[in-house]
This record gives sequence, C-alpha cells and structure tokens, in this order.
Amino acid sequence: MQHESMVHALDEIRRTLKPNGILIDLRPVEDNWSVEIVSSAGWQVSGRLSDVPAGVADDEAAFNAMREVESKGWYIKKEEEEFAFFYYWDTPSEMKEFMEAEWEDFEKLEEDVFRKTSSLWASANADARVRVRVKMLITKWIRCRSNCQFDLHVLII
Amino acid sequence: MSLQKDPEGFEKRILHKFLDFKDKRILEVGCGEGRLTWQYAAASSLTVGFDPDHSALRVARADARDKSRDTYFASASASHIPFSKETFDIAILAWSL
Repeated sequence: MQHESMVHALDEIRRTLKPNGILIDLRPVEDNWSVEIVSSAGWQVSGRLSDVPAGVADDEAAFNAMREVESKGWYIKKEEEEFAFFYYWDTPSEMKEFMEAEWEDFEKLEEDVFRKTSSLWASANADARVRVRVKMLITKWIRCRSNCQFDLHVLII
Repeated sequence: MSLQKDPEGFEKRILHKFLDFKDKRILEVGCGEGRLTWQYAAASSLTVGFDPDHSALRVARADARDKSRDTYFASASASHIPFSKETFDIAILAWSL
C-alpha cells in the first residue's frame, strides 16, 4: 500500500471508530529475521534472512503514515511492544519452498544460510524442526474525539 | 506442507494483554482467512473482518459457520470501509498496514 492510501485507510478506520475507540496496528517489521533449528535439546541460530529493499520501504511507509495521522491529531499512541512470532517447518526444504512462494517481496533466504541450516538440521536430534523468528510490533492507538491536540484527556484513559 | 504459525500463542497472548474484547464491537482490517480473528472473536459481542481477497474470505466464512454466530466477513477494501461512522469500539490492522 502506498503512503497516501495508508493515510486514507487510517482516516476511513477513524470514521468507523467510536470516539476514544482503539486502533491496534499489528504487523511484522523487517529485521533480518533469524533462522533457527529447534528440537527437544534446545535451539540455535543457523543464520539470518536478508531484508528485501521493497519490504523495508513498506515498513518505512507504514511508520510514516502513522506519524502523519498522529501529527494530524487523528490518533494518539498509547502503548507499543515488540514480540516474536515463529513460523515452523519440519524441514529446511519446506521452509525454502514457502519463502520463495510467499516472502519473495520482503525477505530472502540466501544460499549459504540455507546450506548451513540444512547441515545443522541434519545433524540435530530426530525431532528437529526449523523456524523463523519474525519480529512483530503491536501498537495501541486511541482515536481522538475531535483532534488530539485539543483532546489531551484521552492520555489518562 | 508442515507450516505451523505461532504455536506458542504469543500473538494471542499479547493481543489480549493490549485489549479487553468483552462486549466490544470489533472491525478487523485485512482479515484474510481469519487466522487472527479466531484469536479473539469469541470474547467480543460482534466481530466484522474484511478483506479484498475473495478466496481468503471463502476460507474465513467456512470457518465462521462452525465457530461463531457473531462473526462476519465482508469483501471490501480499506479505501472505502462499508460501515457507518462510529460503529466500532476497536479496529485491528491485521498485518495489513
């Protein structure tokens, strides 16, 4: 989504929200997500994915859109937290297949990372699986009744 | 394929930490197949998810028949949300901004 479309969508959401309603922005953020081998014996990092420029640009556009609607006084930030969201596969090949089909626009699995992951997985316990640790961001915004610059009491809600 | 997403349930846990869904009307933007929707819909009084992807919505609607009477899925884009003003208590941008 382009920046202008994001701002327009946030305005549409604001229209449908009740005064002092809550907007949750929940999304992954590019951060060279780590690839890990996990088994009953524990887990270890086998490498990191490479962020694709288009994905980084999408993140930047989303952050800019939120900054813009905050500066317009449409929403005010209440709370924010990072957390991990894991994708698991039984084998490195299944992980690779998925990434090539689904993630080509924002993350890339380099060949050397795939080789190292395959090697570590093959030598790990029989129950070993592969996973990617996706960095997630959740932000809680309050929809201002009129304009947040004149509506500061929502800070204490 | 053996893909498993968030088996630890971290996403659900943090969502419920950030929000009290009880008796709330929820709008989910970009609901896709409804994976996130089912993490909270049971606690809300009304949940509406929308997405422009028709094939994803088919999956979501099929699940809705089994899981909830108060959860609905609509085909729409965030550029024009087909609901009246001030309808919802909570809006969730589900991996969609």
